[in-house]
Amino acid sequence: MFGKKNDSGFAGGGLIIFSNVEEAIRAEKVLKKGSYEVKLVAPPPDLRKGCDLALEINIVEETGIARMLLDGGATFVEILPIKGAGELLNIVKTKDFGEAIMVKAGNMKLTFDKRSGVVLNISGGGCPDIPYLHLNMIDKELSSLTRPKDNGYTLCALMLDRAYTEALEIRKKGTA
Amino acid sequence: MLLICGTVPLADSILITGKAAFDGEKLLIAGKEISCTQGTAALVSAACVAASHCGILEPQVALAGDCGNGKGSRLIYNYLITQLPALSPTVLVLHYILPVMGLMKKVCDAAGKCPQKPVMIADASSMYAAKAAGLAPLFDIFTPDLCEMAFLADPEALHPAYVSRHLFGAEIAQAPELIASAFRHKNAARTLLLKGAIDHVIQDGKTIATIDKPDIPAMEAIGGTGDTISGMVGAFVAAGFAHTAAAISAAKANRRAAEIIGAKPATKIREIIAALPAAISD
Repeated sequence: MFGKKNDSGFAGGGLIIFSNVEEAIRAEKVLKKGSYEVKLVAPPPDLRKGCDLALEINIVEETGIARMLLDGGATFVEILPIKGAGELLNIVKTKDFGEAIMVKAGNMKLTFDKRSGVVLNISGGGCPDIPYLHLNMIDKELSSLTRPKDNGYTLCALMLDRAYTEALEIRKKGTA
Repeated sequence: MLLICGTVPLADSILITGKAAFDGEKLLIAGKEISCTQGTAALVSAACVAASHCGILEPQVALAGDCGNGKGSRLIYNYLITQLPALSPTVLVLHYILPVMGLMKKVCDAAGKCPQKPVMIADASSMYAAKAAGLAPLFDIFTPDLCEMAFLADPEALHPAYVSRHLFGAEIAQAPELIASAFRHKNAARTLLLKGAIDHVIQDGKTIATIDKPDIPAMEAIGGTGDTISGMVGAFVAAGFAHTAAAISAAKANRRAAEIIGAKPATKIREIIAALPAAISD
């Protein structure tokens, strides 16, 4: 049954939608090889956009899963949460502290020094890759960094990536 | 016994258990130094300071290295599912652990098998898992920020990144609406400490206290300022404080520590933690 919790404790909350069955089966192989817990399911009618087969995933792991599929040559239509808002939060706000600017994207905030472009702090979020990304990004200049979505695995990393790209844009405009 | 569980930014997915000690600069677990960054390391460090102030034993921890792929998180889930009834802590704080709804349910089942159910506190991704799995009423204290409060208020959202736009756009002045929605949909613990420009302490849906002084706007930018509050709440509860009193004391001490050091956007969380002993004593 769709969304049913099994004995392993898997209850994913997210779906990968494919345009055909072959894509779905290939994606399952790629993700299982990468130790992701996934389950082939029938998507509910309102989320059916291609074939009748979808992969249930832990939606929190969306960032790492999308990267693994792309790296593994597997294609998909999109990744969606089973419930709630169908789109990731796309609200970006900024706060000017004078010597620093804080960029807030969804639940993540990145603050950088206006003059040097150095990342001063990262706050918000709660997924396990955020302290790891924090450690690797702090006190470094924005343009020297790898994008958070290329190193992170979770939805918090994806939100941090949005804050990071916006910060880069602000920095470019400020120094132009 | 206060037991704190969460991940730390180590590439090796290893489980580290033992007593925690914070020497004013470094966090040490069973002799191993852990970087005092934002996240669970900051939470544990603040809990150590608060525990020392209250004269109770240092926190026990179960930490695991996890860069986000969930391997360390699964070690923690397995540890709790198998060991929790025997450990039987009085207070259990769950923090940065990859949200896996089914495994969180098993942790709650294990907590229910303790001779006396621990006081259950969740923050960060453990709070996400508890809410998404419909387990929030089993928890005693959640410590959300405003964005996470919107997540708790959204009956459908499985992660703060997928919160409805109208809820996410809420400002602190709209906190009462978010709080009411979270309780109406049974997505809140009995006690909430809403962390923000104005901290709200909420019991069973009713705001019983707000803390807004000293006002240090830079705290929002400093990674870990929410974690330190949650750590102090855990330690104060373990010391016997009522849940709401623990929340109020932690919120006040956090702000005072930031004031003592003149916190700026570039301030690191370890600097605030270093000021907590003086702040708690004030």
